[in-house]
Amino acid sequence: VSARARVRAATDVGGTFTDLVYFTLDPETGGQEIVTAKADTTPPDFERGVMDVLRKGDLALAGIAFLAHGTTLVINALTERKGVRTALITTEGFRDVLEIARGNRPDFFNLHYVKPPPFVPRSLRREVGGRLEQTGAERTPVDLTGLPAILEDFRAAGVKAIAICLLHAYANPGHERAVLACVRELGPEFSVVASHQISREWREYERTSTTVLSAYVQPVAERYLNRLDAELRAADFDGQFYVMQSNCGVDSVEKTKAIPITMVESGPSSGFWAAAELGRLIGEPNVVALDIGGTTAKCSLIEGGRVRIHSDYWIERSRLSAGYPIQVPVVDLVEIGSGGGSIAWVDDFGKLHVGPRSAGAVPGPAAYGRGGTEATTTDANLALGRINAEYFCGGELVADLDAVRGALEHVATRLGTGVEEAARGIVRIANGNMINALKLVSVNRGYDPRDFTLLAFGGGGGMHAVDLAAELGIGKVVIPYAADVFSAWGMLMSDLRRDFFHTRLLGLTADNAAALEALLQEVRAASLAQFGAEGIAAADVRFHRYGKLRYENQEHSVEVALPEGEIDAAAVELVAERFHDAYEREYTYRLDAPVELVGAHVVAVAEVGKLEPAPLATTGRTLGEARKAPRAVDFATGGVHEAQVYVGELLEPGMRFGGPAIVESKGSTIVVHPGSTAAVDRYGNVIIAVAGEPETEEVA
Amino acid sequence: VTAVRPDRQVDPITLEIIQAALQATSDEMFAAFRKTAMSAIIYEVLDMGTGVTDADGNLASSGAGIPAFVGVLDKAVKRLLELHDRSAIGPGDVFATNDPFYGGVTHLNDVVLAMPVFADGRLVAWTANIAHWNDVGGMVPGSISNEARELFQEGLRLPGVKLVDAGEPITPVLEIMRCNSRLPDYLLGDLWAGIAAARVGERRIVELVEKYGRDTFVDAVTAFMDYGEQVARRALAELPHGRFDLAEEQDSGAVYRATIEIGDDVFVVDLRDNPDQDEGPNNASRDGTLIAAQMVFMNLTGAGASANAGHFRPLRLLTRPGSVFDASPPAAFATYYEVMIRLYDLLLRCLAPRLGERLPAGNFASVCGTFIGGRHPDTGRHFTIVEPQVGGWGGSARADGSSAQFSGFHGDTFNCPAEVAEARYGLHVDRLELNPEPGGEGRFRGGKGILLDYRVRSDGCFLTCAYTRDRHRPWGLAGGAEGSSNYVEVIRADGTVERHAVVTALTVNAGDVIRIHTASGGGYGDPRERARERVLDDLRNGLVTAERARSVYGVDAT
Repeated sequence: VSARARVRAATDVGGTFTDLVYFTLDPETGGQEIVTAKADTTPPDFERGVMDVLRKGDLALAGIAFLAHGTTLVINALTERKGVRTALITTEGFRDVLEIARGNRPDFFNLHYVKPPPFVPRSLRREVGGRLEQTGAERTPVDLTGLPAILEDFRAAGVKAIAICLLHAYANPGHERAVLACVRELGPEFSVVASHQISREWREYERTSTTVLSAYVQPVAERYLNRLDAELRAADFDGQFYVMQSNCGVDSVEKTKAIPITMVESGPSSGFWAAAELGRLIGEPNVVALDIGGTTAKCSLIEGGRVRIHSDYWIERSRLSAGYPIQVPVVDLVEIGSGGGSIAWVDDFGKLHVGPRSAGAVPGPAAYGRGGTEATTTDANLALGRINAEYFCGGELVADLDAVRGALEHVATRLGTGVEEAARGIVRIANGNMINALKLVSVNRGYDPRDFTLLAFGGGGGMHAVDLAAELGIGKVVIPYAADVFSAWGMLMSDLRRDFFHTRLLGLTADNAAALEALLQEVRAASLAQFGAEGIAAADVRFHRYGKLRYENQEHSVEVALPEGEIDAAAVELVAERFHDAYEREYTYRLDAPVELVGAHVVAVAEVGKLEPAPLATTGRTLGEARKAPRAVDFATGGVHEAQVYVGELLEPGMRFGGPAIVESKGSTIVVHPGSTAAVDRYGNVIIAVAGEPETEEVA
Repeated sequence: VTAVRPDRQVDPITLEIIQAALQATSDEMFAAFRKTAMSAIIYEVLDMGTGVTDADGNLASSGAGIPAFVGVLDKAVKRLLELHDRSAIGPGDVFATNDPFYGGVTHLNDVVLAMPVFADGRLVAWTANIAHWNDVGGMVPGSISNEARELFQEGLRLPGVKLVDAGEPITPVLEIMRCNSRLPDYLLGDLWAGIAAARVGERRIVELVEKYGRDTFVDAVTAFMDYGEQVARRALAELPHGRFDLAEEQDSGAVYRATIEIGDDVFVVDLRDNPDQDEGPNNASRDGTLIAAQMVFMNLTGAGASANAGHFRPLRLLTRPGSVFDASPPAAFATYYEVMIRLYDLLLRCLAPRLGERLPAGNFASVCGTFIGGRHPDTGRHFTIVEPQVGGWGGSARADGSSAQFSGFHGDTFNCPAEVAEARYGLHVDRLELNPEPGGEGRFRGGKGILLDYRVRSDGCFLTCAYTRDRHRPWGLAGGAEGSSNYVEVIRADGTVERHAVVTALTVNAGDVIRIHTASGGGYGDPRERARERVLDDLRNGLVTAERARSVYGVDAT
């Protein structure tokens, strides 16, 4: 076996930097080495940044066996409206569904509320005759006679991509397939996608929006992946190349080019997958995972090692806007506008707020000294000594403390307090925002956070985790080794994974067991055919099957694992029991009412040979050798204390220390409060036993 | 600028954290209710609301949903506190009211559930929710009839009674409720969803009080309301002051009148000079009327603010008992929502020309409540559609109005997908598109309403509706044209067409098409001043005909 079989690499294109992480394995010792590198992101030719970072990482491409790739290309193309001119073909009588949307006004006291404008103008939304029933039966045959004229109009209007979405195509894609074939034949120059290729779930607005958004970014994504693939191959790469998806798995480049919309939340998904994998590795199957970055904090709940994947995902949705739905499998997460760069401000009535506006990379927090005058969470953490001003951004930047003070003074004046109190206030408000988000993914779904471990990563994870855990009554915090590149690590741990959601209404009765079994077999066969066409044998594919269930007449369903083997009457009974239990846990009551299956969620996983992490080597270094000069740190909620300071890179398995302490690494800081104790496990993760909640202060 | 603080000084950051948690509690109750409700009108239309009040029933926070329900819960709790001795209110209790004369505010279909929250043995707050229940008995399926003459005909009255005592359901009361509904399974499902939501909120508040102490909690609530009041007063001071009035004829022929006085510290809505209460169900309770006034007040002063009791302190409402806006027993209230939205629209119309460019032109301004029921042809079960419609909003000084959006009465409300409707109701949805009828032209035009065709599949189904803004259309502003009409056509299988705006229990049979038309909003400004490019865009998009482009906008596309 050549050396190339042993290198696994991941590249991740972010807003500012393109990251590389790769593992090499020494076949003699079994020892692993993790290498990381960063290069600038290079819009609009993002592949350049990827090639740059591979060169910087001193990595021979011929030696890479497995390369996973994550990119924000799709979400950026959507939010910056940089896709292509897109048209829609839909069912007669329904061309305005995309504009009518669901009719909701979340900002309901605002009489000037503006609906999010559709991605396809009315003149490019065209119709074909023909109707299906919700059962999939044909009501009237599809009428393709108008298509030549429609495509002529699309050409004249400069259309590049066409989305096709017909009513009830989730139940029977026949009509869509006919339209798709005809469009491909008549207009081979168009990029085309039909809804059934992406989603087999009902709700025509959501499915149409999904198809349109996928069509809108398809040429952009395809061009990018083609170029990247070509450059990699030209540089002698001939390993497996996978693209990170939003469902915590990777998928092939070919599949991703056809349906790029599934990449939309690939960044968060690899981080949460990393959390699940790390939890498995260290025996923590129940994890609340928290990723604190520069502009947002995201969290997700992992129970029994399982990430939750759903298809009720929207972009640009907030209290102020209805946003746009994307009905693809996405990791279930809550995201709030609270990160290191979130701006603190005081309203006209003396109330302090943090975020959601962010200082971004430019000008960045005041501490960057790039002209930022507004105080951010990072500035507050600096002022309190939680971040080391002498080792700001891993020593790469000199913190502009005058700018920090000026920015905080502005907040303090508006609040009528001192600078330190203002800084403490900013940290506490930011924590409060994150607490509410963490409750949304835990208590709000019937889970007690005290039964979970908080696993925090991203640049700001370690800074706030102990505080948050104490507040939620969580006893244990895990800050992973190399927390700042944790997402990329997750990509290296990913399987080839596809989530299939199929809508089918069936009463959950013994009589319908065969129908449910047939549905599962149908989905299984379709996915195996897909894998087979890509050279993956059926024996290498594992399936996890879930039912989406509800009480008859309800709308929202609860997902329940289906038993292994053929679904028979006994299995149906077991499923019903599981449903009642899950429902009661989440909603506090159960009903003596008929249960209905809304559809199936089938997960197909094919291992692509993932990494087996090895313990971190030790050198016999003492704790004292990892220590820096102590300093006074204001813990915001726990008073000011002289804290021991440790160099993260010098910590080794087996080391233990107590708070008050700070661990400083190149990309992150861990704050260990007084009374809490930290230990480094054999993989280099910092495990913190959290002391009871600190007393809340009251200012007399 | 001074920070909002009570006399006993508590760290303002702690207060802020508690206030954010109060808001999160209302949101959490909302999410729990929505997910567990049985009826589409709750989980999809979101004809529901959640909130937290202080111990005395003053609104502390409210969840998402619909603006018309934001101000309901506090009024219900206040009435419960009048009806029950404090010694009869204990931990784990849940009370129910739906009767406008017992704190129910709206109509009998809207059931309020309220739960007292205790800490250290003392009442510290209430959590409450309201939702539209599909059927609470009465003279017609769905309980809403345009023919009702007395409240007694509209269903079971729940006069603020206890449903759950110290955590134990009071079975006889639940049995009476169950037995009075045509859809008892839905009723019980929705009931338990509401109880579960109230309990979620109760737990959250108990945790807050345990963590911060009762005094700090109460201080935070008090400071939050004072903050609301400051926000309102600040906004009020910036509005043009004066006394404005307007009289407007309704589709029914009745004339509604309003006088509004805006001062530095007050916003007075005087409705005393209005007709006697309606003999039918077109009445509002004083509480319901107050909510319409609160909604206008929030539109003008509440951008970005949370609606709480403090925010509404500057608002004064004058009504005459026995009038349509303050009806006395035994008035019927089934279609109170059209009275309320008419009043809401009247108040906006009264102010719009006088407040500079703050308000847009009139919108379709009817709930367009549509009730269709009958036998599901595939399952044989009974189905009922209870749904409001989306319509066009008015143009403003800045932009065209939005198309196909729920009225000002509703908010974060979702329409029913055709794919779901066809499965659930056994009707065919033949089309759903923007309504091409002319109207609402202006420098910035009104948004478009919709055309929605329901094709009936079984004989003996019924249609009930009560649309307004049929005869009197949405108003234009600053020279903009008025919008089009809200109405329903029934196209019989034999081709004959009937037109309705208000109809009760009309029989429709297999092959008949119920065609719903909702109005475009009014235009803003002279249509001749509309940018040529916008007119051409509308032409390209089929939103205006070449003839109207020429005659109304003066744009010749050729």
